[in-house]
Amino acid sequence: MDLLSFFGMISLPLISSPFVYLSGRLGAHEAVLHRRSYVVRGFALLAILSAWVPFVRTVTAFMAGETQEFMIETILLQVDGISLLVAGTVLTLGTLVILFSGPYMAGEAGEEKYYAMLLAMIGVMIGLACAGDLFNLWVWFEAMAVSSYLLVAFYREQAASLEAGMKYLIQSAIGSVLVLVGIALVLANAGTLDMAGVRAAVAGSDVNRWVWLGAGALFIVGFGVKVAFVPLHTWLPDAHSQAPSGISAMLSGVVIEVGLIAMLRALSVLTGLGESWGVLFLTFGALNIVYGNLLALRQTHVKRMLAFSSLSHVGYMLMGLGIALTSNVELGAQGAFFHLFTHMLMKGLAFLAVGALLYALFLQNDSHAPLAISDLAGAAKKYPLVAFGLSAALLGLGGLPPLAGFMSKWQIFVAGFESQSGWIMALMVFMAFNSVLSLAYYAPLVNLMYRGSPSQAVTAGKPVSAAISLPILLMTLAVILLGFFPQVMNWITRPAAQSLLAFFGN
Amino acid sequence: MSLTPLNIVLFGIVALFGVGFYGLLITRNLIKFVMVLQILIKGVVLALVFAGKLSGNLGLGQSTAATVIVADTIVAVVGLALAVQVRRRFGTLDVPKISTLRG
Repeated sequence: MDLLSFFGMISLPLISSPFVYLSGRLGAHEAVLHRRSYVVRGFALLAILSAWVPFVRTVTAFMAGETQEFMIETILLQVDGISLLVAGTVLTLGTLVILFSGPYMAGEAGEEKYYAMLLAMIGVMIGLACAGDLFNLWVWFEAMAVSSYLLVAFYREQAASLEAGMKYLIQSAIGSVLVLVGIALVLANAGTLDMAGVRAAVAGSDVNRWVWLGAGALFIVGFGVKVAFVPLHTWLPDAHSQAPSGISAMLSGVVIEVGLIAMLRALSVLTGLGESWGVLFLTFGALNIVYGNLLALRQTHVKRMLAFSSLSHVGYMLMGLGIALTSNVELGAQGAFFHLFTHMLMKGLAFLAVGALLYALFLQNDSHAPLAISDLAGAAKKYPLVAFGLSAALLGLGGLPPLAGFMSKWQIFVAGFESQSGWIMALMVFMAFNSVLSLAYYAPLVNLMYRGSPSQAVTAGKPVSAAISLPILLMTLAVILLGFFPQVMNWITRPAAQSLLAFFGN
Repeated sequence: MSLTPLNIVLFGIVALFGVGFYGLLITRNLIKFVMVLQILIKGVVLALVFAGKLSGNLGLGQSTAATVIVADTIVAVVGLALAVQVRRRFGTLDVPKISTLRG
């Protein structure tokens, strides 16, 4: 048992977070401000890169079939397919975002806080995915929420950022209260909060089924705020568009998905009700897809449009999970988890590429104006790599073959037909039409970048540095290669899907 | 319903939730919002201890309640810090007046 590396995977980013902050605060003298920024950035990058070592060791131990559990008193942390998938996803995007943020955040007041909070958020998300009891899960969830509030409101002199942070805080705080009420309900009736213990207690209890359904409903509404289930999504477009671009990528690429994982974990303890949650997931999935698409269609700001498209992509994941839970098709969950990963790549790439353009066109010219779609006209000539990356991300999100997004949507689609249930197949057709509809807002942007005549902003834009281009280049390659070789992710998506179905007892 | 200690606690939980949710509906001021949230959380803390007592696992209920108090203080601090910044930037704490982002 390799407990040290399992523990290190969670705690390395967490422990390094205060040190990154201190390294920025010590010797905070104006004359060395520039050099200090390099120290902070280097330290943060080192911390996140060193977290890869225990991660790889944990994966090797997992593949060898070892059970990895970590018990402190009653707090249980354990590794399964889902935790490894989440840890891998979070670490990948986290590394790229820290690399990207180097030049993007350089010279901002409070740069050291940015990296400290970002590292803490990464560590907390990995911990959340490993949580083995309900209350522990809530504590990780709340820690993730607090660090993301601070990051959303990072530009605290900008009125719009403050407003977005405030909306986010109000809605999420109410959500986490509801989750706690659900936890209290489970504790009162099951007598324990350990997930395996609650599962056994629920299966053997003679308590009215409605009690468990009520607890589940509280979990769905509470975590649903974070996942942006459609009536509870109103904070999302503001927060995702006002945060610094690296954080927008983190929020859209991993934070809402980790919220979904937390919801799945909490719901999975209420055994025997998997089918009810599956039906709910399919309903909310369909609602999210169509609502996200329709609102994204009428956006004029690029980051806001991407934020609304996150709503519809959460919908695709919910569809896959719903298929798995209602008709016990493992491929559905596998497709959902694959889409979780590809969405992280594509949406992360889209936000980073847009961030690079925002930085080159506006931020370097001391403007905090939002990037409008029309500002990107003709950007491809001046910024060929960034424009290509953005196009690959957008077309991938729209589900154009042979990009990564097509493959993951296709897997969900196939799973839907494998279920052989009439109304799920109807939903799949609905999903496919919506995927085409989404091209109606992705494709014009690509067209505009390549065929439009350069806008005023592009002509006045500054060049994009190599450190910003590197993560964009890497992610573009990943989006294209995953489209050709989707099977390379099977080693992790399959165990994740298996552990999900095992949890729900199907 | 007789006035046993357990019933009094139950009544307390329901009352705190009632006040909290009603407050959420009518509050427009950011500082008051943080206060209302604290009232709701106190209801939850009481509910957690109560749940522990009901299920015969009082220690677990109490330890979770203590953790919730700590975690929620942090949320309150962040909320108040945001409120201070909002007051400086907008000159008001009235939530509807701060809403400019749309659609």
